[in-house]
This record gives sequence, structure tokens and C-alpha cells, in this order.
Amino acid sequence: MTSEPEPSLAGPLDFSSLATVSTRVTRRRERVVFVLLVACSLVSLATTVGIIVMLAWESAGFFLNEQIKLGSFLTDNRWTLGQSQGDLHYGILPLLSGTFRITAIAMLIALPLGLVTAVYQSEFASPRVRAVLKPTLELLAGIPTVVLGYFAIVFITPWLLQPWGDFKTFNAAAAGIAVGILCLPLVTSLSEDAIRAVPRSLREGALGLGATKLEMVVRVVLPAALSGIVSAFLLALARAIGETMVVALAAGSTPTWTLDPRVPSQTMTGFIVNTFQSDVVEPGSLSYYSIYAVAAVLFLITLLLTLAGEWIRFRFRERYQ
Amino acid sequence: MNPPPIQAPRNLRTAPTRDRRRKWFNSLFSVVCLLAAGLATVVLVTLLLAILGKGGLWVDWQFLTAGHRENKPLESGIGPAIMGSLMICAICSLFALPVGIATAIFLEEYQPQSRGLQFFHGLVQLNISNLAGVPSIVYGILGVTAFVYMFGAFGKIETGRPPAWEFGARHAWQLKSLGDQWLQIPDADPAQPGIRIEGPRPIRFADGSNSVLNVIAAGAPVPEDVALRNRTVRAGAAASIVRLNSFWYFHLPLHKSILAAGLTLALVILPIIIIASQEALRAVPGSIREAAFGLGATRWQSIRKAVVPAATPGIMTGAILALSRALGEAAPLLAVMGGVLSTSGLTSLMDKSPTLPVTIFRWSHDENVMFENLAAAAIIVLLLLLLLMNAVAILIRYRAEQQRG
Repeated sequence: MTSEPEPSLAGPLDFSSLATVSTRVTRRRERVVFVLLVACSLVSLATTVGIIVMLAWESAGFFLNEQIKLGSFLTDNRWTLGQSQGDLHYGILPLLSGTFRITAIAMLIALPLGLVTAVYQSEFASPRVRAVLKPTLELLAGIPTVVLGYFAIVFITPWLLQPWGDFKTFNAAAAGIAVGILCLPLVTSLSEDAIRAVPRSLREGALGLGATKLEMVVRVVLPAALSGIVSAFLLALARAIGETMVVALAAGSTPTWTLDPRVPSQTMTGFIVNTFQSDVVEPGSLSYYSIYAVAAVLFLITLLLTLAGEWIRFRFRERYQ
Repeated sequence: MNPPPIQAPRNLRTAPTRDRRRKWFNSLFSVVCLLAAGLATVVLVTLLLAILGKGGLWVDWQFLTAGHRENKPLESGIGPAIMGSLMICAICSLFALPVGIATAIFLEEYQPQSRGLQFFHGLVQLNISNLAGVPSIVYGILGVTAFVYMFGAFGKIETGRPPAWEFGARHAWQLKSLGDQWLQIPDADPAQPGIRIEGPRPIRFADGSNSVLNVIAAGAPVPEDVALRNRTVRAGAAASIVRLNSFWYFHLPLHKSILAAGLTLALVILPIIIIASQEALRAVPGSIREAAFGLGATRWQSIRKAVVPAATPGIMTGAILALSRALGEAAPLLAVMGGVLSTSGLTSLMDKSPTLPVTIFRWSHDENVMFENLAAAAIIVLLLLLLLMNAVAILIRYRAEQQRG
């Protein structure tokens, strides 16, 4: 920049050199800003890479331990890590069965109710009803999961379940119902988005051919919105499997290999949080590594479900132009 | 041959009955719909009533300010927990907001020109929708590995091991006088974990006042005067080192600290902030950008002066919703800091601190069932805080709509 001749005051003023300098500064600033923005978006990529590398590395520490065999991890139906029993069993099946029981109950509640609520909101409800229903669902979605867990302990188990059978203080059914409540707003809002994306002309066509509203919904609207609804179901399923606090509070901390919803059941997430919270896990010990092994299984399952949900949404999306 | 009798087509003959059935099903379905939708309201109302009924009477000033007392529910409170939760929110917004908004600007405002950038763009976008589906407990484990232990980059991971690098730590030697007072000898050298007292030294009492140590021989009689006795020790008494934290105290790796927890939650809410900001930026009409370009603005100038101001209400709303998620999230906190309940508040960012969700979790599991009611009271406070944040978000949205006309 020093090589540029100074604009002399005598004679006509020449601003071109000044303009070049300011353009150059501006360009450099644009560059710097762009690099900064790219760096910031690298943070989210680094998070994913960090999760994958960490889970792979530390679960390798688990599976490379001489006490551990991969076969037993996948087939043994007892899990005693994190408990004060002498016998070492590390089959993940009880944790999987706990997750399965609670998720199944949650989905039995959230899927039908959520879908019907979504249909009602987009097809039947008057604006006045919608003005009440939508904030209600948003409030329900905003309730912290630890609060729902508390609700499961103090209300669902003693008042809803125990009058009907021999439900233990901590049981899979109460946790499942609470997780179902938690997934309900998610299913509703995602399916409603999918249903609303179906063009009006399809509805008018069905009604014009003499269909009742129910027939229009079942034969025309739902099939057209199917990909969005399936993807909503998969995302809700991933959410239910990954849910932690409700399960840690209401489902107890005993891993059980059964389908009985009345007994305590520890899930994968419940095991992880209980082990961390107990504060006795020495880094490098077997129970420390087992956290990562269980988390790796959990992460794989939820990742596959999320990817499948996204894929279905984009692959099978009906396009109306 | 008789002509065959004229018959109406089958479906036509049954049409009246079938129509009635179809209509009946239709109205039945709308009733089922209404019931299902009403159930959500019923659940919400039941939940709020159950919690109000259990904890409503417990929320008072003492509860809002006191700390946790083991086995003394009547004296326990959530003062430190509220401070901890607010601190977590502050750390989250400090880290997640700039990074999240910058990522959204990169994704929305910079159309990739080259092949490589296009790939990077798509990768980041796909990655964000996946990150939003990762369970929060997995983030918690990432927080433990990446922030608490920092991948073991600072030596072997052991609990109780002092941090590898620290800044702003002050040390003192501590001992008890003959008058049963704790005394501190300031400016201790951390290399010497313990010393023996030989002669008089400057001391500080627990209340902060300074004095000088009075040393008497091993067999000498104890002084009668209380003030003197309080600063008297026998020769050869042992003093051990303690750490006094300044509020700027910092160390690496972060260990189980509120900073590690806040950073972890920042990662949890990052995808939410990015997605919300992207939507807000997308809603800014293209004409605003074109006008800025037309006036000679560069890309960044148009973003900074025109696009981001127009998108601010949307970004703020998304940010507040993300922060309210951080306020209610418990699982990553349990993983990173453990189930902390404590009587006192924070002194530095390197302290563990109780938070509202973790306090609720611990109290609902406490053996003393009285704490179950306290948990309900803490839930009421948490829900009120969340409601306040949402009200602010709604206000921002409303005012933006008013301005737009």
C-alpha cells in the first residue's frame, strides 16, 4: 500500500487509490468473516466426530478387557455391572428388554393418540378449539422430563396403576405411560405438519366424489401424508428409546429379563445415568467402560432410527406441483 | 319366456343403509378425535394439579434461599440450585448462541460455489438434523470425556488427582488453635502439603480478621485469656494445606465443574438454536438482501446490517426456547457433575453446583419422604421460570408482528 502514490493536493483529486485500499480491506474482512463462520459450523461436525470416536475408543476398552466376551454381551440375559454382586454378568439383553418394554408402552399411547390429535387439529377442529389445543400441546412439550418422571412416581403408579394389579413401586408401565405423554406432542406436531402439506385440491376432490370426512382422511389424506407420518413415528421412537430422566426416576434400577410391565426394569439410559450418578465409578474400571459400550449400542439404535426417519421423509415425499 | 325381473344394481339397493353407516362412522370418528385431543388437556391439568397440591404450600422465602440440609427437609431449600441453573443458562447462551447463529448464517446466506464447499454444506446440514436426534445422555457422556477428563490429554484419568494446570488458585495452611478456632496461614506454597509450626506467623481467622500466631512450648499451660487462647498453638503443631478459590480460579482438565456442565448443555442445545435461526433467516424476504446488494453492500455487510436485524425476533424466540430446554435438562448434568446437593453456592466456575432439575431428581428419590413434597415445590419454581421465559419469547414475537404491521 505504501507503493501507491499520494494524491497530490494540486491538480485534480484522484480517489482511485483510496478506493482500492478500502475495497481490499473490505474483501479481506469478507474472507475473515467467512472463515469464522466455517469454523463455527465445524463445532457441530466436531461434536458428531467426538461422539463417534469416543464411543468407539472407550467401548474398545470394554471389549478388549480379558474378562469380556462379545458373545456373552449379546446373548447373556443377566446384567450385574454397577451392582454389588460378586458374579460378573454383562449381557445387554435385560437392558434392551427394559428399553423395549417402556418404549412399546410409550408408543402404544403416543402413536394412536398423537395421530388422531393431529388429524383432529388439521381437519375437524374449529379455530376456537385449536386456539386452546395448540398451546396445551406446546406447554406439554415444554415440560421438563424430570417433572414427568416425578409425575409417574407420585401419580401414575399409585393412582392409575396400583388399583388394577400388583404393580411394584418402580415399574415399566408407569415409566412407559410418562414417556408416552412426553412423545405425544412430538408425534402430533410432526404428523400435523405432514397432513397440512397435503394440498387442498386432493381433499376437495374426495369430498366432491361424495366421501365423508372420515373417508377423505383415511383414503386420501393419510396415504398422501404417509411418509411424513412414518418419519414422525420413527423420530418419536428414537426419542422414547433415548429418554433418560423419566426412566431413571420411575422404572427402578434393577435390570430384568422379562416382558412383565409391573416389575422394575432398568433401561440402557437408566443404567448409564445411575452408574454416573452413584459417583463410585473409577475411570478405567470395568463399569466405567461398560457405560460406553451401552451408550454405543444406544447411539447406534437412535442414529439408525433418525437416519431412517429422515430418509423416508425425503425419499417417499409426495410432490405436488 | 318371461323377461327377467328388473333388478336394481346391488350397491344401489343397499345405498341408503350404507350411507347411514358411513355417516355414523364419520360422527363416531369426530367424537373419538375430540376425546383423544381432550386427553392431552386432561393430562396437563392433572399434572399441574398434582404438583400444586403436593408442593404448593412449601414455596416460601426460606425455601427459595436456603440450601439442601441432609435429613432436615423443613430447613432445606433451593437457593444454590436456582443460582446453579441460572449460571448454566448463562454459560450456554455465551457459547451456543454465537456458534449456533454463525452456523445458521453460513448455511442459509452463503450459497456454496465450489464442489468441495457444496459437499461441506450438505454434510453440516445432515449432521445437524442427526445431532438433534442424539439422546441427551449421550451428550452427557461426551461431556464427561471431552470436558471433565479432556480425553486424558492431561495425563492419566484418576478421581481425586489434582488438575494438571491451574490458574488463580490461592493456598493456605490450616490448623486449629487451643481455643478450638480454625486458623489459616496465608500465601502457602502448594509444594509443601503440610508444615510444623516453630515460631510466630501471620494468621487469618475464619471471619477474615488478621492476627499473629502465638506459639507456646509443648508443656506450657494454656492461656486464660480467650482472645489469646484463640490464636495460640503449641510448638510443633501440624498445619495442612487447603485451597482457597478465587472466583477467577480455572484449571484444565475441567473436572466435574459447572463450566464443564454448561459447555455440555451448550452442545445439547446447539442444533436447536441452529435450526431455529435457520428458519428465522429463511423467513427474511429476498428483497431485503437485493436492496442491500443494490446499495453496494458486500455479502457480510448485507447480513450484518439488513438480514440479521430483520431475523432477530425469530432468532431470539428460538434461543429462548433452546435455553428453556437447557434449564429443564437433567441427564447430562447428572453425568457431568453427578447428583450434587449442596448447602452453599458457587465460588468459581470450577465448583460443582446443584441445579434445579438435579435437585428435583435427588429429592424425589430421598429416603425421607418429606423431600418428595419439596421436590414438588422445586418443580413449581422450575415451571414458573420456564413460563417466564416463554412469556418473554411470546412478547418478542408479538412485538415483532406489531412492528411489521
